[in-house]
Amino acid sequence: MKTITHIVGRIVLYVLLTGSSIVMAFPLFWMISTSLKSLDEANASRIVWVPTKILLDAYRFILTDPDFLRSYFNSIFYSVLALAGTLLSIAAVAYAFSRVEWPGRNVVFFLMLSTMMIPAQALIVPQYVFFNKIHWVGTFNPLIIPGYFAGGAAMVFLLRQSMAQIPKEMDESAFMDGASHLQIWWEIVLPLVKAPLATVATFLFVGFWNNLLGPLIYTQTTSMYTLPVYVAQLFNINSQVQPWPTMMAASVLTTVPLMVLFFFAQRYILEGVLITGLKG
Amino acid sequence: MSTNPYLYTLVWACGAVVFIILASLGLGRLARFVVRLFGGSKIKQSNTSVGFTFAAPWIVGFLIFVVAPMLASLYWSCTNYKIPNPPTWNGLENYTRLILQDKEFRGSLLNTLFLTVVGLPLQIGVALFLAVLLNQKSRGERVYRMSFYLPVILGFNTAVLLCWRLMLTAGTGIINQIIRGLSNAFPPFGYLNRLFIYVTEIINAFFISLNNGNFTFFNKTLAAGFPAANRVPMWIQTPLWSKMSVVILMVWICGTMMLVFLAGLNNIPRELHEAAEVDGAGSWKRFWNISFPLITPYIFYNLIVGMIAALQIFEPIYVLYRDSSTLAPSAYSMVYYLWRATFRFNEIGYGSAISWIIMVIILIITLIQFRLQNRWVQYELY
Repeated sequence: MKTITHIVGRIVLYVLLTGSSIVMAFPLFWMISTSLKSLDEANASRIVWVPTKILLDAYRFILTDPDFLRSYFNSIFYSVLALAGTLLSIAAVAYAFSRVEWPGRNVVFFLMLSTMMIPAQALIVPQYVFFNKIHWVGTFNPLIIPGYFAGGAAMVFLLRQSMAQIPKEMDESAFMDGASHLQIWWEIVLPLVKAPLATVATFLFVGFWNNLLGPLIYTQTTSMYTLPVYVAQLFNINSQVQPWPTMMAASVLTTVPLMVLFFFAQRYILEGVLITGLKG
Repeated sequence: MSTNPYLYTLVWACGAVVFIILASLGLGRLARFVVRLFGGSKIKQSNTSVGFTFAAPWIVGFLIFVVAPMLASLYWSCTNYKIPNPPTWNGLENYTRLILQDKEFRGSLLNTLFLTVVGLPLQIGVALFLAVLLNQKSRGERVYRMSFYLPVILGFNTAVLLCWRLMLTAGTGIINQIIRGLSNAFPPFGYLNRLFIYVTEIINAFFISLNNGNFTFFNKTLAAGFPAANRVPMWIQTPLWSKMSVVILMVWICGTMMLVFLAGLNNIPRELHEAAEVDGAGSWKRFWNISFPLITPYIFYNLIVGMIAALQIFEPIYVLYRDSSTLAPSAYSMVYYLWRATFRFNEIGYGSAISWIIMVIILIITLIQFRLQNRWVQYELY
């Protein structure tokens, strides 16, 4: 009797798990499926689960669109450049908060944690005025350079927690050998926190890649659009028939880097959520 | 700007790096000097210097990009500053206009309230449900967990939101097609669907009437009665459904909350469940009497974070409703309204006032969190 209820319970469990997974992943499937359809099938009034004939026209069209390619390049340029500086500065600041004893450290650290409460969007208005004054509106600078000042208190916190767990003896013995703090940071501490660094890098990259509000405010010409801005304006309310296959082809190409990243970095992502979410 | 924008930014990025290094070294020197002035030991001098050198990027950035903008916006919020005209002082006029006259701002507050009252419980409920499923130690747990979390990574990209716009189309969208198909196949599902439509439209009509200040619309919706058999949800077509579509997206992106719950469930000592099982408690009973009370702190945490996130929803509203002047106001979040009100006519003064109201609201929510946390959350049961 017990085993039968157990088996039934397990079956129900797997049905629920699989069903939920299908629902959660469905938009992705639909995006890919629509991108391979003909225009008629994409706008059909009956359900077309998969295209009757796989068409690559939409991809051919979008991949020869210079605006799309340019915004793709812009997104890569912005994300990579912003990521490099932000990651390095966060690593430096986390080192100061975990491996060095200095007066005022706790005060500054507390100050940094309390900035997590200030939503970034609440600062966009005065920051816009500032960037407007120094003629940075219409360039990529406002999207990239603020991050170089260790933008992202939660990320600093995450990295600090990992750095604090390294035994003190490691750098003490290095000191005896005459190493400087810069060397200890670069040659001893950073290699030991590779996994948390990967977590931080993943979160930062996803944040930059998905960022819509920033590029919307600061990039003002089509040639400077990043992917989120470009893709969002593909939908044109005035046209009678929406070119869904083309839009979805652009969407698939936009999300490919995220999916690849998620596939390889999911372990780091899941750990990172737990560190920042639960101890913060 | 005639030069290549990429080169321009690369040059400025290098400049920023040089500036940060110089500022760090300068701050380190200064810190050493101050410590020496107060007679600190050699070790203390050197540690202070190193600490400030490494922390300087954040300290400098905090002053330039947080403190200065906040002070400036506090001043501008009391002026009628419109780029390119210089600010002129007008006292609290922006704030009174926002709170007393601005119907769209009041609407954004009400929308946030709707998302908190209707959306958050659904979101938290689904997150908890998925976490409990994952916690059953099934095979392939990793794959399931991955697919539940995937929407968080993709979800706020406009590309994926555009796909939602396609799926939510009322006439030919796949979601309504499925609802239609299921309703025809199983009549009970059809009733469920109509009940869902009925409840959603009444709640939304209530919120719309609240914003209008009179209840004619609400009464009209009530009088329309139970929806006809062939009705489907009008997702992104009418103000009655615009907020509900955002709720659907919120529920879809519940992966972070789910992970938090999963961690909470993992922290429950196994012995508690084993002891209850020996006493003959079924799994349903064990969930409500053991797991649920012990994860209340996590529910509370998700509630607070979810409320703050609801204020800031931006991308979904931009993608779904940007081009409609009737739908957009019915779904404005506070941050979306901030963006729209500020950048339509470069109204810096007014936008600053909205920013400050958002900050104060978030501060209040956070303080409530600290206050109430101890009162209605069970921390230590064992």
